[in-house]
Amino acid sequence: MKRAICLLFAAAVSTGAVAAVDPRTVPTQLPPAWQAKARAVFKQAIEIPSVHNRGQVPAVAKLLADQFRAAGIPDSDIHFMPYEALPGDQTEALIVRWRSPHATKKPMLILGHMDVVEAKRSDWKYDPFVFREEGGYFYGRGSSDMKNGDVGTTMAAVKLMSEGFKPDRDIIFFYSGDEETRGVGATLGSTKWRNLTDAEFGLNADGGCPSYDEQFRPLGCGISMAEKTFQTYFLTTHNPGGHSSRPRPDNAIYDLADALEKVRTYRFQPMQNEVTRAYFEERAKQEGNSPLGQEIRAWLANPNDGAAADAIEANPLEVGLTRTRCVATMLSGGHADNALPQSATATVNCRIFPGVQPPEVQAELQKLVGPNVEVKPDPEFIGVPTPASPLRPDVVAAVTAAIQKLDGPEMTVFPEMSTGASDGSFFRAQGIPVYDVDGSWGISPIDERAHGLDERIPVRAFYDDVVYWQMIYKALAG
Amino acid sequence: MRYLLAAAALAVLAATSTSAAPPRLTPAEHDATHAMFEHVIDIPTVIGRHNVPEMAQYVADQFKAAGFPAEDVHVMPYHTGSATQGEDDTAALIVRWRAEGTPKAKPILLMGHMDVVEAKPEDWSVDPFKMIEKDGYYYGRGSIDMKDGIVAITQAMIDLKKAGFKPKRDIVVLFTGDEETNGIGSKKGATEWLDLLGHPEYGLNADGGGGGFNPDGAPAGFTLQTAEKTYADYTFTVHNRGGHSSKPRKDNAIYSLAHALDKLEAYRFTPMMNETTRAYFDGRQKTEKGPLGDAMRRWLANPNDGEAADIIEASDSEVGLTRTRCVATRLFGGHANNALPQLAWARINCRIFPGVDPNAVKAELERIVSDPEVQVTREDDNVASLASPLRPDVTAAYTRAVQTLHPGSPVFPEMSTGASDARPFRVAGIPVYGANGGWITVPIDERAHGRDERLPVQSLYDDVVHWEMMLQDLAGK
Repeated sequence: MKRAICLLFAAAVSTGAVAAVDPRTVPTQLPPAWQAKARAVFKQAIEIPSVHNRGQVPAVAKLLADQFRAAGIPDSDIHFMPYEALPGDQTEALIVRWRSPHATKKPMLILGHMDVVEAKRSDWKYDPFVFREEGGYFYGRGSSDMKNGDVGTTMAAVKLMSEGFKPDRDIIFFYSGDEETRGVGATLGSTKWRNLTDAEFGLNADGGCPSYDEQFRPLGCGISMAEKTFQTYFLTTHNPGGHSSRPRPDNAIYDLADALEKVRTYRFQPMQNEVTRAYFEERAKQEGNSPLGQEIRAWLANPNDGAAADAIEANPLEVGLTRTRCVATMLSGGHADNALPQSATATVNCRIFPGVQPPEVQAELQKLVGPNVEVKPDPEFIGVPTPASPLRPDVVAAVTAAIQKLDGPEMTVFPEMSTGASDGSFFRAQGIPVYDVDGSWGISPIDERAHGLDERIPVRAFYDDVVYWQMIYKALAG
Repeated sequence: MRYLLAAAALAVLAATSTSAAPPRLTPAEHDATHAMFEHVIDIPTVIGRHNVPEMAQYVADQFKAAGFPAEDVHVMPYHTGSATQGEDDTAALIVRWRAEGTPKAKPILLMGHMDVVEAKPEDWSVDPFKMIEKDGYYYGRGSIDMKDGIVAITQAMIDLKKAGFKPKRDIVVLFTGDEETNGIGSKKGATEWLDLLGHPEYGLNADGGGGGFNPDGAPAGFTLQTAEKTYADYTFTVHNRGGHSSKPRKDNAIYSLAHALDKLEAYRFTPMMNETTRAYFDGRQKTEKGPLGDAMRRWLANPNDGEAADIIEASDSEVGLTRTRCVATRLFGGHANNALPQLAWARINCRIFPGVDPNAVKAELERIVSDPEVQVTREDDNVASLASPLRPDVTAAYTRAVQTLHPGSPVFPEMSTGASDARPFRVAGIPVYGANGGWITVPIDERAHGRDERLPVQSLYDDVVHWEMMLQDLAGK
């Protein structure tokens, strides 16, 4: 579950100092020979439909493992870890250890996931599982979430190995196979498989950090250090049903529609924590005297100023950052065209503010929709709130240097809270701090298509990500 | 799709007084009826489960075992399918009981359907596909819609044949295998199988008619169905670019759809009346003393009194009889728990007042929703249904059978709010009358398509006798 690209108006908005160069047209720093290698692996990865229940994740694991093996990682350090995610979904994690000949520090963990969200051919303009390059973009399901990161982290290591680089700490690569559904892989990776994954800290490639606005101004790069808790609820209505030629006053579908209307308009209580305060302080500087900047300052000055928080939340740049949010994502109901529905169910996906327990949100939803609508958490995934990771100067320095080398000094780097959940949460919960810091970027909001239609990544962003991870490995393990 | 009787209490069709005791089934006939009913209920003839051919073969075997010549018993396999209703390899059963010598008239067609609506065990209190007898009822999917009618017609013909009855005109049976879904069988019946059916003069459909009794046992009346609303399905579809669910947006396919459904829920079509419903309500009002009766009298006196029609429509017993009705029956949306929906749709099932063009209803639905984000489409190309003229011979036979078995029960003409296999035949110029003899207690047994569908035990056996009497009257003279 990739967090959407962080949106941030850079200071440049007020200074006007940044030339509006389309970042997609800037040449990549990755040499052409390595572009071809990375592209070939990316194409193969995209064209494996590693959606849950399709049994295709092991093919992605093999593809990545083959790259490491060819670069010289021995089979004894390549571990294929099969497991069951959703009931019946046989998937696999890949764990690879790049050993240091003279380790002086505890290992560093690189996280990613090989599964992708479902994509229906009928919804997309082109086949989501056919890799396509067009207009400066690579298209395909997983192109930004996150086969780009899988290939970027892998090919950066392969390239460094080919250049003879020896890390001064072990670098462990952990790619899970069910991040988008259940997170069983990350649960196992942070517990049962800990002997293979134990590390001082983790860097998660799930989610590009920098972004640009449509005028090509850098929006900054948020290092995700805390995250909202992911919890899905099912809202269900029941009815005796009957023959559709004789509509009853009560109807499971209409009752559910009424409940959804309430969910649509409801807003949870605004909240702040240390990470979001730091984030909004940075934002206030960048926004200057814009209406949004004034609202942010008002809310920082008075956390009880609900109107200011509402105005911030309503801004497309800040959605989800001021409170718990819940949204309807799926619907099902009825059993025949000519019968009154006996039940109807809506899936409501919540991103819960850190510190709030999921049962509290369930109770709040129940109160909202009333006693005639059943509210139950998804038994397949019970969210567990996780602590924020401490700010590490070495990580921030390495990320800042790499990002600014690729994206320029105007691309500021700052802490943030992710509205999504990722595999990082399981490791954070088990005491390994995790920082979500992939180097790929996009144009906001037009490239924010993770989980959505016609997912894509700028060609240069994909190539530069390989360069980014090389710099990260060298800085933190060299 | 059976419409079950509205509560009513007055004979508006010519009553024939009769004091003769009704015929009874012999113990052997009774047991055979029970065995056949249990056997067919236990076959889940839901679309997609490929079980209709098994049932068709079983019923065909009952006919053949009773001496109907194999060359006149035809299991007709066919494929049914549509984008919305599902697919199946199904079958129809055609049986022709030939007249002795030169037929006096063109054949009488007896109609029914062998398929049933889906039933989910988790929604029911009992297994829907395992017939059980409990508290004076037979429970099971299809018990009133309409394996009772299939068994009643079949057993009646078997009993009559064994008793030496010789029809003076051909009696042909058409039991279809996809009435609840695509209706391909009845379309074939009215076209490519019409020669095999001998171009019948009219049809008697067991998937219509029938009677009711109030919980206190007082007769609510039986209906002879002569008109039916047009069945049409529509879909509300909303597309959206979707996105990541951690960043909700104001535009959301599910919320747009929910809003459209809220509007549909609140909407009421304009009230309408035709000859059949006028006769029906005129009969109803004579004994309906309370506010409901007052509303009927007001509406009959002034068809523009929409408020009176609304009161009638709101009554449990009269739902669907005063106008076109549309209701949401199915919902679908989204593609992942953690993604904003790119698609959401709802199926809207409409029962359109006879004579109203389904395309006009589509335009009306678009006006109700009045949201360019919500696309309204039709799911079929059904045309407006027609009414069948009342035939004195059919009316008399039906009334005699009802009043012999249920003295004191009034008989009404009826417009069905459901749709049935009758439509293609009516369109082809063959009148069809819903003339089943089964009965239930109203409204508690009105469970066609719903959960815990059930049939009073005695109704099954009464229905066999009902069809025996009807056939003796209509084909024996």
